[in-house]
Amino acid sequence: MKEIIPLLSIQNIYKSFASNPVLSGVNIRLNRGEVVAVIGGNGAGKSTLMKILMGIYKADSGTIFINGSEVSLMNPSHSLDLGIYLVPQEPMLFPNMTVEENIIIGMNQSKAELKRELKIIIKKMGWEVSLIRKADTLSIAEQQLVEILRGLLRKARILIFDEPTSALTFREVNLLFQIIEDLKHQGIGIFYITHRLKEVFEIATEVYVLKDGIITSSGKIDNFTEELLIKGLISDEDDKVSELSAEKGEHPVFVNDKEITEDVRIEKILEINRFTGYGFRDINLTVNTGQILGLAGVVGSGRTELAEAIFGLNRTISGEVLLYGEDITGLRTSEIIKRGINYLPEDRHLNGIFGESSVKINLNASTLFIDSKFIINGKKESEISSRYIQKFSIKVMDEDQKISSLSGGNQQKVVIGKVLSTSPQLIILDEPTRGIDAGARSDVYRIIEQLKNDGRAILLISSDFEEILILSDRIEVMHGGTNVRSFTREEISMDQLTEAAFGLVG
Amino acid sequence: MNILKSVIYKREATVSFFLIGIFILVGIVNPDFLTLTSIDLISQNSILYIFLATGMTFVLLTGNIDVSVGGILGLCGAIIATLVRDGANPIFSLLLVLLLGSLFGLINGLGVAIAGIPSIIMTLGTLGILRGMIVVYTGGKWVENLPDYFKNPSSQMLFDALNVYMLITLLIIIPLQIYISKSKRGRYFSAVGDNYNGAVLVGIPVKKITILSFVLSGLFAALAGSVYASQIGFIMNSTGVGIEMIAIASCVLGGVSLSGGIGSVAGASLGAVIMTTITSALVYLKVDASWNNAISGMLLITIVVSDVLIHRYTAERAKKIRLAAHVENMEIGQ
Repeated sequence: MKEIIPLLSIQNIYKSFASNPVLSGVNIRLNRGEVVAVIGGNGAGKSTLMKILMGIYKADSGTIFINGSEVSLMNPSHSLDLGIYLVPQEPMLFPNMTVEENIIIGMNQSKAELKRELKIIIKKMGWEVSLIRKADTLSIAEQQLVEILRGLLRKARILIFDEPTSALTFREVNLLFQIIEDLKHQGIGIFYITHRLKEVFEIATEVYVLKDGIITSSGKIDNFTEELLIKGLISDEDDKVSELSAEKGEHPVFVNDKEITEDVRIEKILEINRFTGYGFRDINLTVNTGQILGLAGVVGSGRTELAEAIFGLNRTISGEVLLYGEDITGLRTSEIIKRGINYLPEDRHLNGIFGESSVKINLNASTLFIDSKFIINGKKESEISSRYIQKFSIKVMDEDQKISSLSGGNQQKVVIGKVLSTSPQLIILDEPTRGIDAGARSDVYRIIEQLKNDGRAILLISSDFEEILILSDRIEVMHGGTNVRSFTREEISMDQLTEAAFGLVG
Repeated sequence: MNILKSVIYKREATVSFFLIGIFILVGIVNPDFLTLTSIDLISQNSILYIFLATGMTFVLLTGNIDVSVGGILGLCGAIIATLVRDGANPIFSLLLVLLLGSLFGLINGLGVAIAGIPSIIMTLGTLGILRGMIVVYTGGKWVENLPDYFKNPSSQMLFDALNVYMLITLLIIIPLQIYISKSKRGRYFSAVGDNYNGAVLVGIPVKKITILSFVLSGLFAALAGSVYASQIGFIMNSTGVGIEMIAIASCVLGGVSLSGGIGSVAGASLGAVIMTTITSALVYLKVDASWNNAISGMLLITIVVSDVLIHRYTAERAKKIRLAAHVENMEIGQ
């Protein structure tokens, strides 16, 4: 009779959208001081479940207990009152307000009281936060911290982290884990939604694997291995993915040498000499056809600024960029696309997709000024879109579906398709797998490998060093705005790469 | 130094400097412009626009727009004018039209927040309905012969310098400015326009706030209609036609962002004063009145564009400095 009453207990939750079941009888328990990892692929129902907890959606049936008493969650402010707070994947701050305003907005107590409480919390946690900065000057990690403070000030007893590390750098991830550890000791119950299995073992105390709206396995983290999790995650048809991911966990380099076909000629396509601009300086590098050049570095090391300068988006100061030996420095972006470069931007939502438009329109957006004279060639557009939908197995109902209704992974595939539709010889991929799940991630890896085998040149920018190690033939490491070290695939190790990226080169 | 800097970066300050600039420049050309009479006239004329811009500010902050205010102004003006002409109690009549204006605003708000109709479409629709209702209500005739006690207060002065209406306006604007910039609830309006989904997540009643913003806009439009009837002394079918554009322009001039999230009542009111000042200045500069609209339009574009350019320049400069600092700071670590 001495069973502990769980902080939160979800029992037999069902939810479907228009006869399309998303959750089919989900049971989860969360106790004080636990970190419960919820993992699952796209469309597994993770977000829906959390939105039900936040009162954004209403469950069709099932019951939710908080501290043993049944509650019905009507709307977000009701959930907040009950002590549930969601730290969303993309922080939802008010960019034009200060940090402090962002934290205390929407609360009922007096301002002075809130400010005092906030100071106490910050002190207790030992965090460094400037309250007077405007939110649009914060990095994503700092924005997340603001979100957490929001939750804490609202006396949240249950914090939900939705893919919190997908936009963070290595160092920031460690900081976040420390914070979660602190929160755990405060007796706060935490849901941790992720697709990075390594993190599950690092931070979680319990794990639930959600697949197609059902919990396929759950229990104490000690009873699990990475293989077991993957088994729960991946459907049987996707055996190949499972192999790939399993291998990825153990041996970073999974590409067989036989995959590098002999008949692809390796020649220099892009050469950058003493290239300097805002945020980077003295960059020297070359990219070859049929090869992947990995550009590694932490966030802020100038990689994106470099890519944008090559692509004609930012002004440059000195140096030259040569494509096939021809100087393309400072050309207009449309001209650069015509000459055979295309760029996959880092921030999909901001720069990658046309959210209100269909998959077809998105896939054809880059070729508008190449293929169509005046009237858009509808037949050709359909051809292109159905080709990429098939080739990348993009999960859509039809080509006219709105892109923002797709999952992150499928959106990213559409954006990659758009980039490829101009048949570029050099493709710059900036964080191609940011914020997408494990299944889509391996699909994207396969696409990149395929491009390389087709003889295209690829400049791969990533903060995920594992990704760089898996894919790259050669690696340039950027630190403090310049490329500090280069490696070939044979000589590289994770340790060296990390050292160089954090500026610890001999 | 920091205080000075933050003041200069405040849009309200830039606008005030601009206003003073107009007075000085026009005053040099024609000193009559700087007399008490002229300033009093400007302040009287701007009251109407201040009310409209104030109401509009709430709507713009939430990321919406209200183009029906001219219609509300016209109809409410016609109603209060006929009521007092026919001997009704003016206070009662005023309360009635304020209620009516709020009701029109409520309809706009429900259409936008609940039915999800884009605000420009919704309010364009109500504008059409209201314009039609004015003609039906007045039978197409002017409403005139208003009693003197109703028209008089608009020329009543306090301490020989402060118009009664201006005093009332200040008494309304100042608390509203404090409400919108300092109070907890006041910040909800800009929060809704700044990040709608984020506002939902922190438990802000976004729909209620949106509706409330339209109600306030309707209320202030009705108030402006009453002021109009009292100041001008008659109402025509075309009263308030195109006035929504002046209200929106005043807001933009005063730093209210059309995409929501930024702005204040004080800024919008200053913008309204500038709009009136420009019109009045053209008279003192002896510019042919037919040029009024074109010149106001050009000045509006000039002011807004130069403001945007200055801000973009400073933002880009700051970005470059930040990026350069990145490169250098990191070097020290090596």
